[in-house]
Amino acid sequence: MIIDASTYIGHWPFRRLRHNTAEGLISLMDRNGIDKAVVSSINAVFYKNCQEGNEELAEEIEPYRDRLIPFATLNPKYVAWREDLERCVEDLGMRGLRLYPVYHKYGLLERESSELLREAARMRLPVELPVTLVDPRQHHWLDVDTGLPLNQVLEAADRYRENVFIILNAKTVSPIIERKGAAAPPRNVYVEMSRLSAVLNKSIQAVISRLGVERVVFGTGMPFHYAKPALLKMEILDIKEEEKEAIYWKNMAELLGLQGG
Amino acid sequence: MKIDVHCHVAKRANRASRGWTNADLIEAADKLGIDKLLCSTPVSRGQPTMKMVRECNDITYEAMKEYPDRILGYAFVNPGYFTEAIEEVERCINELGMIGIKLYNQYRADEPVVLPLIRKAAEMQVPVLWHAGHPPSPEEALRWGQPRISDGVHIAALARKVPDAILINGHIGGGGDWEWSIKALKNVPNVYVDTSGSVVDEGIVEMCVKYLGAERVLFGTDLSMEAGVGKILGADLTDEQRELIFWKNIDGILRRRKV
Repeated sequence: MIIDASTYIGHWPFRRLRHNTAEGLISLMDRNGIDKAVVSSINAVFYKNCQEGNEELAEEIEPYRDRLIPFATLNPKYVAWREDLERCVEDLGMRGLRLYPVYHKYGLLERESSELLREAARMRLPVELPVTLVDPRQHHWLDVDTGLPLNQVLEAADRYRENVFIILNAKTVSPIIERKGAAAPPRNVYVEMSRLSAVLNKSIQAVISRLGVERVVFGTGMPFHYAKPALLKMEILDIKEEEKEAIYWKNMAELLGLQGG
Repeated sequence: MKIDVHCHVAKRANRASRGWTNADLIEAADKLGIDKLLCSTPVSRGQPTMKMVRECNDITYEAMKEYPDRILGYAFVNPGYFTEAIEEVERCINELGMIGIKLYNQYRADEPVVLPLIRKAAEMQVPVLWHAGHPPSPEEALRWGQPRISDGVHIAALARKVPDAILINGHIGGGGDWEWSIKALKNVPNVYVDTSGSVVDEGIVEMCVKYLGAERVLFGTDLSMEAGVGKILGADLTDEQRELIFWKNIDGILRRRKV
C-alpha cells in the first residue's frame, strides 16, 4: 500500500504540465503503483477566491473518491474563509488543508492564520505546507521567488500545538535537524520525503533520527514531478521493512483517520 | 549499464568536507546501478590560480586511483590561463588518464577567452562539460554569485564557432530555466545536455528528447543520485532511448578521443 501525501491537479500558469487532471493523476498513480493520494487544486492557489478551485477539485475527483483524498486550499486573509472551510469539510468531504503563505502573502504567525489554524485543529484537519511548488531558481517572472521558511513552520508548530503540520517538497531540512539550543522539533511536525535523499547526505535518515520514523510520510509532487525518484529513495532506504511501511502509508493513514489504509 | 557523466568526488579544494567519502559515493552508485562516474573537482566561485586548479585535479586523480574501475576524471581548468590551462589539460588527459574537460563559471562560453582551450579540446576530441544554468534574471545570477554562468544560448554560440568541439550543457536539471536552454540548443548538433541536478520536473527529459533527440541527451546526477536515475526511469522513453541516455551516447563520445 502506498499513500502519496503530495499531489495536485489543475493548471499551472508558468509551464505546461501533463497529467494534471484527475484522470491523468490516476494514470500516473497506476503507472507507479500508488494506491491513494492527497490532492489539492493548483487553480485554487491563483484564484483570488480559492473556494472556486476547491469546488472544481471536488467535482473533478468525484469518480475517484476511493483513491483521491481532497485537501482544501484556503487563504485566511480572504473574505469568508470560515464558510468556505465549513463547506469544504461538510459538503465536499475535504480531509485537510493545504496552505500557501508565500503565494497568499501572509505569515503563519499572523492573527488570521491563528484563527484558521484554530478551526483546523478543532476539526482535526492536518495542514499541509508545500515549501515550494517549483524550484525557485527557475521561477517565472510573475511567480514568487522564495520558499516558505522552515523556521516559520517550526515556530508555528511550537505555537499551535493542537495542529498537525506536514511539510511538503522540502529540499533541505537543516532547520529541523539542527534546531538551536538542541530543542527537539515540535511533536506536531511531519515531513514528506520526496526531495530528501537516502544516500550521501542521507537527509531522510537524518529526519527519521530527529523526528522518529512515525513522522515521515511518502510523497511525490506529481504531476509537477516524476514519481520515480521518490520511489527509488524508498526502495534503497536502509531501514526496516516495517519502518518503510509506516512511511509508505501507515503514518498518513493515521493522520487521515483511514481505517486499514 | 549506467554512466553518470556529471559527478564529483568527496573531497573539495579549500572547502569543508561534504560529510561523506568516496566509498559512500561508490556505495550509492552500487545501490542505484551506476557503473561509472565521470567526476571533477571544480572551484565554484572566483578565479582560481593554476596552483588551485592543479590541486583540484590531483584530488580527482586520487579518487580515480582509489576506484580505477568506477571513477573517471575530467580536468578542471580556468580558461583565463590560456597556455597554462591547455598544458594542465594535456597533463590530466595524457599523463593522468582523464577523459574530458570540466569548465565552471569563471568565463561565459561565448567569451573569446575560452576559444584556444575549446579548439584544443576539439583537436583532442574530448568532451567539455560546462556548468550551466539560466537564472531568472541577471540580478539573480549575481545573487547566486555566478554572474558569468553560461546558459544554452552561450554554449550554442560557442558550439557554432567551434563545430567540431564536443560540448555538454551541464545539469539541465540543476536549477534555472531548463526550457530556455533546451530550446536554445535545438539546432546545434555538437552540444549535448546532461540531465543531472535535483530538479525532477515531470517532462524535462521528454522535452530534451523532443528538441534534441535522444542521441544528444546524457544521464548524470551531479550528486543528486536518486533524482538523476529516477527521472530517466520515470520519463516516457523507449527502452532504446533509455539505453542511449544511460550510457550508449557517452560511450560513443568517449570512443572519439584522439589521445
